This record gives sequence, structure tokens and C-alpha cells, in this order.
Amino acid sequence: MAFDKMELKDIEVWDGNFAAAQALRQSQIDVVAAYPITPSTPIVEGYAKFLADGYIEGEFVMVESEHAAMSGCVGASAAGGRVATATSSQGFALMIEVLYQASGMRLPIILNVVNRALAAPLNVNGDHADMYLGRDSGWIQLGAYCPQDAYDLNFIAFKVAEDHDVRLPCMVHQDGFMTSHTAQGVHTLTDDVAYSFVGDFKPMNDMLDFEHPVTHGVQTEEDWHFEHKARQHNDLMTKVLPKIQAAFDSFEKLSGRKYNLVESYDMADADVCVVCMGSSVETAREVATEMRAKGIKAGVVGIRVIRPFPFMEIAEALKGVKAIAALDRSSPNGAPGMLFNEIAGALYNTADRAMLCGYIYGLGGRDLTKKHLANLYTELQANVDAGKITTQLQQFIGVRGPKLAFL
Amino acid sequence: MLEIRWHSRAGQGAVTGAKGLADVISTTGKHVQAFAFYGSAKRGAAMTAYNRVADKVIMNHEKYMEPDFVFVIDPALVYTTDVTIHAKPNTKYIITTHLTKQELIASQPKLEGKEIYTVDCIKIAQETIGRPIPNTPMLGAFMKISGMYDIEFFKDSMVRILGKLPQKIIDANMIAIQRAYDEVK
Amino acid sequence: MANIGWDEFEIGAMLRTFDGKIDDIAGTLQEDRAYSPNSSFVASVADWRIKKPVFNKDFCIDCQFCWVYCPDLSIIARDKKMIGVDMDHCKGCGICVEVCPTNPKSLLMFNEHTDEETALAQWPTKEEKE
Repeated sequence: MAFDKMELKDIEVWDGNFAAAQALRQSQIDVVAAYPITPSTPIVEGYAKFLADGYIEGEFVMVESEHAAMSGCVGASAAGGRVATATSSQGFALMIEVLYQASGMRLPIILNVVNRALAAPLNVNGDHADMYLGRDSGWIQLGAYCPQDAYDLNFIAFKVAEDHDVRLPCMVHQDGFMTSHTAQGVHTLTDDVAYSFVGDFKPMNDMLDFEHPVTHGVQTEEDWHFEHKARQHNDLMTKVLPKIQAAFDSFEKLSGRKYNLVESYDMADADVCVVCMGSSVETAREVATEMRAKGIKAGVVGIRVIRPFPFMEIAEALKGVKAIAALDRSSPNGAPGMLFNEIAGALYNTADRAMLCGYIYGLGGRDLTKKHLANLYTELQANVDAGKITTQLQQFIGVRGPKLAFL
Repeated sequence: MLEIRWHSRAGQGAVTGAKGLADVISTTGKHVQAFAFYGSAKRGAAMTAYNRVADKVIMNHEKYMEPDFVFVIDPALVYTTDVTIHAKPNTKYIITTHLTKQELIASQPKLEGKEIYTVDCIKIAQETIGRPIPNTPMLGAFMKISGMYDIEFFKDSMVRILGKLPQKIIDANMIAIQRAYDEVK
Repeated sequence: MANIGWDEFEIGAMLRTFDGKIDDIAGTLQEDRAYSPNSSFVASVADWRIKKPVFNKDFCIDCQFCWVYCPDLSIIARDKKMIGVDMDHCKGCGICVEVCPTNPKSLLMFNEHTDEETALAQWPTKEEKE
């Protein structure tokens, strides 16, 4: 091969951004079209440096906006390349139009989304507003909790997205700063092992196959639109979760690291539990353990696959729990919150409907402290003891001023 | 769990210092975390960086920290920011200053009764590296106060971490680390 | 294209120009290519036309203006010689006539039902400059 390999230590101290950049290098991306934005910048910067230093055979396309970045990715992917990029926040918002093109055209692009708040007011810190903005775009969405996950889930993403039964683009989410700029020990794969897991890119309907000319991005009008969208939804509902599970299984065989569609922690006998995403999942696990020492049977359910939403798996994970807190890190602006709604939907037709409360937290990078979580578990336990919800259904955690609660 | 908070200015190398320290500690089998808050701050703005060290995987991602050690690598920050915030009764402070410990406490009464160590990382960095980048000398002082690792092991590890820099700069950093180790009081 | 169900077509917003493998497409004339039913080449839009262009080769200088300007690729040329109009795809817009530089013009619009012989018999003569 015409590129150099890199010697890595078994454990490297990497932040989430560098871990993702290393995964892109080891997956040998053909094309990255990017318009860097904080806090995701070091991912594409890292790719560009690896490329310039001869560790990758590929192409870095500098563009004039995130809209153009994703457009470049769509073109390169339709042409038949392995394609990835990264963005955050406002850049993600500008990409939205093309995100729908990518998924509708069934192009397996990997987008690292380093989650950051959406303006106004302007803020580079992390929340999940951009992640929520993309949740109906027809992409697969995987959520990392720490730099290790950001590294591993990139490989999983390529494996799943490029599968010819799937052929859907995939986002790998990590929390801006709290994961992207936090250095922790990351267990690495060697270049050969990582690449063999992802495998050679297998093109499908690629435009550079001159023996099979194809038109991409066709106009259908009412005649065909519904059938195309139905097909895409069908594949998301029926094919993707089994493929992700299969990729998780083979990744575990390779690395010893086990991922699940829904990450249950101490849920076997839990009375109260927190459902959340991102780096908060790990903090909540630590607090749950501490609450158990105080006699509260606490558990945590972490969302690993945000789309397609693991509806049945969530209901199964929450079986027998008495009180649940759904934590949304994005302002629902006039609704209960995405996780609250999804979980309510998943539980509504089950026999043991638990008491469900929604919490809005961490907007714009506001800290979710262990103390917040300990209070939250205590509140859930109070609901269990009272046999009814003792608070309003939606509460804000960590915001200054008079207590905010609704519904 | 050992927790460290760095007080620095953007551009003085606190992030690099925190990550470098994490890297060294990681090679000894411990689990580490290094992060910082700087938002879109400009060079020279006050900022904080953080280290966590533990025997098990670190799951805590809260920003809130009650530090065991506070590193102040810019001499003015003891006056313009509260370096004692969220401190514990036994928190140890290593502060960059040209003052004696008594003069420092007299000039910032908040430090009264705290376990304070002083070293002039800025001067050491200027005299060795030739630039006021006080991050590596602070780590030399930390090795002395904490007794975490043998200074020779630590310097060898830092040579690896600084590997990409020119040899002259690496050598100067080693002298800076050793000087801070020797001079911290 | 038949109105098949959501599960019966290939994924992606894509259509194939040919059903199977092709080779030497550049060396194969359009009329000899096995276009798939999805290619617009096999669909006729002739019924859009009210007036049609008629080609008179006696005055043509093979300048290729009509070939360049035709918005529907309906001017048939071979070896840089104009040989006629593709009446399956011509919508009768008249641009070819407008851009034709000869005197008299080598392309003129006639009613759709006028036969070629009648049209050629009515061809105007050279216009003298005043």
C-alpha cells in the first residue's frame, strides 16, 4: 500500500476528537470534504495532517460552507468512495438540507457530530440541540459517552452504513468539550486489525462504474416519493438494528469491548432509573452506584443508538422499574422533550407503566453535577414511596433563578 | 481519586501540561482524565484545566471538582481569579510567583492557612526554554511536592511526550523540570 | 415505468440508463444503444409539437449551430454533417430555425401535418440584400 502505518501504544491518552481522527485514518477514508467548526475542528484537521504526512491515501476537499462540505461528501460517495466529515452546531444546521439528500440517496457517509448548542445566544459549548435537529433526517445516529466510544463507534459506523443491506449514512455523536476535548485512556486497535474490521469499501451503484451508468438524485414527484421514503423507513425499522447488533458482536470478539443498542447499568432490580445520552450516562452510573450504597436501588439506561430508536429494547430495559427520569439536553421549546416522548411511547402499551418524569439539563454546556443526579434519584425514590409523581412532569435542572417546572 | 485544577492563561500550555501529565500517569496503569474550559477565549484569557487520576475507569464527567492540588502557572491569577474556589481543607497549592511564601500570603489573604508551595515557573521557563511557557516546570514542582514518581522516570516520560519538538527545546524542558523540582519551596 | 411497490425497486434515488452491462458506449451510436425503459431516450415527446422543423440539405453548410443550440439534443449529426431531426424528442421550439445562418434557411418550421415533399416544394429562394 502507498501509505505508512502508525505504531500505537495499547493505551493512548486521546481526547474524543483525536480518537475519531485516528479511526478515520485507520479506516482509510477516500474523501473528506470539510468546513471546520468548533468543537469538531480537530477531527478533520487530524485527517488532513495524517493525509499530508502520508498515512492515508485520500483527498481533503476544502469548501466554502458546511452545506458545500456535505454536498462534496454526497458527490464523492455517489462516485464510489469511502467518505466522512465532521461538524457541530451551526455548521450542522447548515448541513441539514443535504443530510436529507444523503440519506434519501442511500449514501453511506459517516458524519462525526461533536454536539454543541445552537445559537442564539452564541455558545461553543456542548448540548444536544444539533443532535436533536438531525433526528428525522433518515441517518443512523450512534452516541458516544467517552473518547473510547468515539473511537470504536466510528468503526462500527462504517461497518453498518456501508453494508449493502443498509446503505444509509451514519452520525457518530460525542459531547462537545466534555468528550471531544477530554483526554482519557483509549484502548487502540492496530492499523491492520482496525482496517480488517471495517474492510475494503464495496461500492454500490457508483457513478465511476462506466459499464453501468446511473443517474443519482432523480426527481420523482408524487409518483415515487412515498415509495422511496417508505423503503428507507422500512430499512431503518427492520434492517439497521440487527446489523448494528451484529457489528457490536463482531467488534466485541475483536476488541473485548461490548456495546449494546441500549446500555443498561444496574437495571436488573432497579426501582428508580435515569435515561440519558452522552457523557452524562457515565456520570449517572457513578452516582447510581453511590445511591445504592445509600439504599436506593438506582439504575441507568444509556441510549447508544438514537436513530433508529430502539423502541422495543427500551421498553424491555425499563421493565419493572417504578420511577424513571428522562433527561433531555436540548430545549424542547414548547414540548416535553424528545427522550420523554419516545420513552412514554415505548412504555404506553406495556403492562407496567412506570412513573415517568422529564428533566431538561445541561443547555449550552451547563455542568450536570453528581449532586444534581443524587437529588434527582432521591426525588424519584420519593415518587416511589408516595406511589405517585410528587413533582411536575417537566423540570429544569441547574438553571439559575426561580425553579422552573411545567405540566 | 486524585484531582488537580490548573489556573492558567490561554497559550501558557495548561492543556498540553494536563494532557502530558495524564499521558505519563497512564503508562503506569492508572486511569486518567484531562480536560479544560476555554470556550472561544483569546490568548491571554484566564482559563482552567483539570486532571483526574484513579485506579478504576473514570466515569465522572462533571466539571465540578474539589481539587487535591491547585496549580497556578501565571503569577497574576491569584489576584484576578479565585484559585481557592471549591477547595478542600487539605488542598495543596503550587503557585508560580517571584514572591516568597510570606509575601504571597500577605498580598492575597485568601491563601492564609492553606498548604502553599511556591516556585517561579515563569522565570525558570524564560531562562531555560527562552519563552514564558510555565507548564513543564510546574510538573517538575508537582513531582517534588507529591512524590508521585521518581524525577528521572518523569523526565524520561516527558522526553517521549515532547518527542516531536526539536532536541534543543526538549533538553531545555528537562532542565526546566529539574530546576522547578529543585527550587519549589 | 410501471407503478411497482416500495419493495420492488433498487434503493437510492437512482435510475439506470441501461439494464445490463455496457461497453464502448462512446463508440456506439445513440440509436444502437440498448437504453433501459428508465432512460428518457426511449420516451417520445413528439405529441407536444404543434409545428415541426423541416431540414433542407440543399442549403445546409454544416455549421452545427442547430446541433449546439437544440435544447433537446434532437439534431442528428454524423461525422460533423447534419443529417436530420430526431422527431421523437423534438418539441418544436424553433430554436434551430432561429439560429440557422444560411440564406435561405436550411431549417424552417411547418405545420405538423405538412409532409416533407410539400414543405420542400414551398422552400423560399435566396433573399437579396437591399
